[in-house]
Amino acid sequence: MARVNLVEVRDVARRFRTPAGDVHALADVSFDVREGEFVSIVGPSGCGKSTLVMLIAGLLMPTAGRVVVAGAAVDRPQTRLGIVFQSPVLLAWRTALDNVLLQCEMRGRVSEAQRGRARDLLARVGLGGFEGRYPHELSGGMRQRVSLCRALIHDPPLLLMDEPFGALDALTRDQLTLDLERLRARAGTTVVFITHSITEAVFLSDRVLVMTPRPGRIDEIVEVDLPRPRRLAMREDPRFATYCRRINDRFMAHGVLKEGT
Amino acid sequence: MRARLAPALTLVAVVVAWELLVDGFRVPEYLLPAPSGIAHALALEWRMLAFHTWVTLYEILSGFALSIAVGVPLAMLIVASPPFERSVYPLLVASQSVPKIAIAPLLIFWAGIGIFPKVLVAFAIAFFPIVIDTVAGLRAVEPEMLHLARSMGAGNAKIFRKIRFPSALPHIFAGVKVAVTLAVVGAVVGEFIQADQGLGYVLQQATAVLNTRLGFAAIFILALIGIALFVAVELLEHWLTPWSAARRSELAAATP
Repeated sequence: MARVNLVEVRDVARRFRTPAGDVHALADVSFDVREGEFVSIVGPSGCGKSTLVMLIAGLLMPTAGRVVVAGAAVDRPQTRLGIVFQSPVLLAWRTALDNVLLQCEMRGRVSEAQRGRARDLLARVGLGGFEGRYPHELSGGMRQRVSLCRALIHDPPLLLMDEPFGALDALTRDQLTLDLERLRARAGTTVVFITHSITEAVFLSDRVLVMTPRPGRIDEIVEVDLPRPRRLAMREDPRFATYCRRINDRFMAHGVLKEGT
Repeated sequence: MRARLAPALTLVAVVVAWELLVDGFRVPEYLLPAPSGIAHALALEWRMLAFHTWVTLYEILSGFALSIAVGVPLAMLIVASPPFERSVYPLLVASQSVPKIAIAPLLIFWAGIGIFPKVLVAFAIAFFPIVIDTVAGLRAVEPEMLHLARSMGAGNAKIFRKIRFPSALPHIFAGVKVAVTLAVVGAVVGEFIQADQGLGYVLQQATAVLNTRLGFAAIFILALIGIALFVAVELLEHWLTPWSAARRSELAAATP
């Protein structure tokens, strides 16, 4: 298939003014994300990973450089995408179904077809029968699933995920990782996935971008050549371990990870 | 059930003890009437008291309604417009160090006689907590939620209607609950300063002639009004923001 670039990040820098002086969150970052590709960005806390998501979404403008999505320069909030944050950010007064449909409601009138699609999506992540529940009646993992459905209901070409599973326990995390792999494979959505978990990044991605500590730069790009669909057992694959080690080594080289002597 | 029974029992115990002590120590009625005496005054004067209750209730509700009608839009303006916030909000907060009760005589003096000046005092005392809590509520939306809304292509009006305002409702109700009790205070203070009708007027007239029974009867009705209005606001809150109550009880259950 034709591998067209959906996202192009070119020489992007971003500085924040704070009372304590300027903070350089990102310096000179360039990379592409091809259509249908799953790209993870891993890096230590504060390396500007989340800033990258905001820049691609057009919710923040770069201090230097440019971001292009689907051939158009990003100069305003992008609407042809879905976003999942670490916190599910659901509206407490809406049921799971209505939280998913918020995406459609904000864009116009909700159609019966969208309603059906929302139910279908919820069912596919194991929330069939929970459509009428309110967020406070759902577990953390369920809430994040609702958030994922909300990001996918309008069938966006691009999905941005900022440490989406960071606040979940290991088991729930694994399940959601599998759910994501399944949903995405079906829709062919391009994904930019921010995480600090190396195994999560390798498991899900076609390519992993490793970032340096602040100011964040792309340190290395690791191509993950494992068959899809990915299965949990692949984590025992020697190749899987090799990829993880390569990323680990980069972190060690930058002093992000240190071993005792 | 037990939560409601306990204070009810305490209240009954206090009333009984009050009755017995006044009786046992032969406290003169002009100093402290027994509950039975107050009940007697209520029964005897109910026609007159009903009229004055109506007047005071009218002042309270008007002042309260006015404080919402002014307070909520003012808070919206403060949140929507940074220049307006910078130029008005600090002054508004600072102005609250002026005791409202001290300026009440001036308000009465300016607004003249009749019901309106009392409404004005009730409003002046009640509106501030509504402004403060509404501002806090409108600002309490998670930034991620606003980011999401932008990525959904929503404009400010839609974001306000679908996200900001509903999520501010629990905060607004917190302010409204304080305001409703303050409106009672405001109306009575207004009547103390100058009035020829209303429960505050009755209270003043009664104590001037040592008719303490009647004074207590007026206080009793004022307390009932205060409680009734507070409960009414709470019921409205439960009805309009059931999610907020559910979340609170969930939090309460989580803390032993």
